[in-house]
Amino acid sequence: MAVPLSWYMLLSLAVFSIGVFGFLSRRNIIIMLMSIELMLNGVNINLIALSHYIQDLRGQILAFFVIAVAAAEAAIGLAIVIAMFRNRATAHVDEIKEMQG
Amino acid sequence: MVSIGFFIYFAFAIVVLSLLVVTRKNPVHSVLWMLLLFFHIAGLYLFLNAEFMAAIQVIVYAGGILVLFLFVVLLMNLREELSIGKYTTFGPTGFTFALGLFVAVSMSLSSFIAAPPGKYSIDLIKQETHIKALGKLLYTEFIYPFEVASLILLVAMIGAIVLAKRRLKS
Amino acid sequence: MPGTYLPTEYLPVLIFILVAEAFGFGALLIGVVFRPKKPYPEKLMPYESGINPKGEPRTRFAIRFYIIAMLFVVFDVEAIFIYPWAIVFDKIGIFAFIEMVIFILILLIGYIYAWKKEAFVWD
Repeated sequence: MAVPLSWYMLLSLAVFSIGVFGFLSRRNIIIMLMSIELMLNGVNINLIALSHYIQDLRGQILAFFVIAVAAAEAAIGLAIVIAMFRNRATAHVDEIKEMQG
Repeated sequence: MVSIGFFIYFAFAIVVLSLLVVTRKNPVHSVLWMLLLFFHIAGLYLFLNAEFMAAIQVIVYAGGILVLFLFVVLLMNLREELSIGKYTTFGPTGFTFALGLFVAVSMSLSSFIAAPPGKYSIDLIKQETHIKALGKLLYTEFIYPFEVASLILLVAMIGAIVLAKRRLKS
Repeated sequence: MPGTYLPTEYLPVLIFILVAEAFGFGALLIGVVFRPKKPYPEKLMPYESGINPKGEPRTRFAIRFYIIAMLFVVFDVEAIFIYPWAIVFDKIGIFAFIEMVIFILILLIGYIYAWKKEAFVWD
């Protein structure tokens, strides 16, 4: 018996929606950034599964570029976290209300 | 039969691990569960005949990005949210959005029609190895996104150095 | 075929992972089962060579750790772009070679910027 393609797509959808849930409900900035990485990984699972099932390699090329962009975005996002929280002790985004400093 | 067994293990483990990632109070625990999640996703890529993607997943994600997260969490002393109840209860709005997204897209999954099969069958990829097939496609047909990726990495490098080294007026 | 593919050449890797996990978990499990468990508050404090710990156990954040980890990630992504190119570059013509030289030159600009901003100076 074969694993149908829709199972892989449901798995990718589940990981993506868990990432959405984590991003919308947690207020800690690190967990929010990790939820973004979770969403990107869900999309990668979908791309590579489709590339395997329709026997085309372009899905894996796109997943490759998604990983490269995710690395760049994680680097910049964490630099923003460091710049913002250098003098504050809290990591809750609801308490960052002013734009100066 | 064996492939279904492996897929069920991977799917169950990936969903449980991602739920563990978003629900832990201590951010260090979240990062560690995410490490285990990335190894499972890399194993899933092996079952999809994408061994170079599995290697990239481990090298870049588990070995690079998670190390960045761990550095920031540990060195910035981001405390766990023990006592502030407002930040530990999960808002119902986020949950309904995520659940609605899941239900809406999964109901439209039955009308999905896959494209006609291309030429990169499993035997072709195994005959010339996966990394060679990927390389031949990446540097001839996708040369423009490749150069744009170099610019994105340049911007990330310069931006992160500027942001992290900036002295605040305190 | 796409639904029943099994990567049979990676079976030794799976056995290796299972044996390594068995060793690790087994050692921890035997410790948990056979240890005496009588904690009292002095035993549970962090170890500080005999004196009582005072003050926050964290040093001031040195930015150079983050800068080095970030540079590692960016150059790691550059390296994974170079791996497939290194395998096929003699089969895809001179144009792909020139494109890769342009890629490395663009990232060399970033490297020179990091050098000038003293990102590689340790002290």
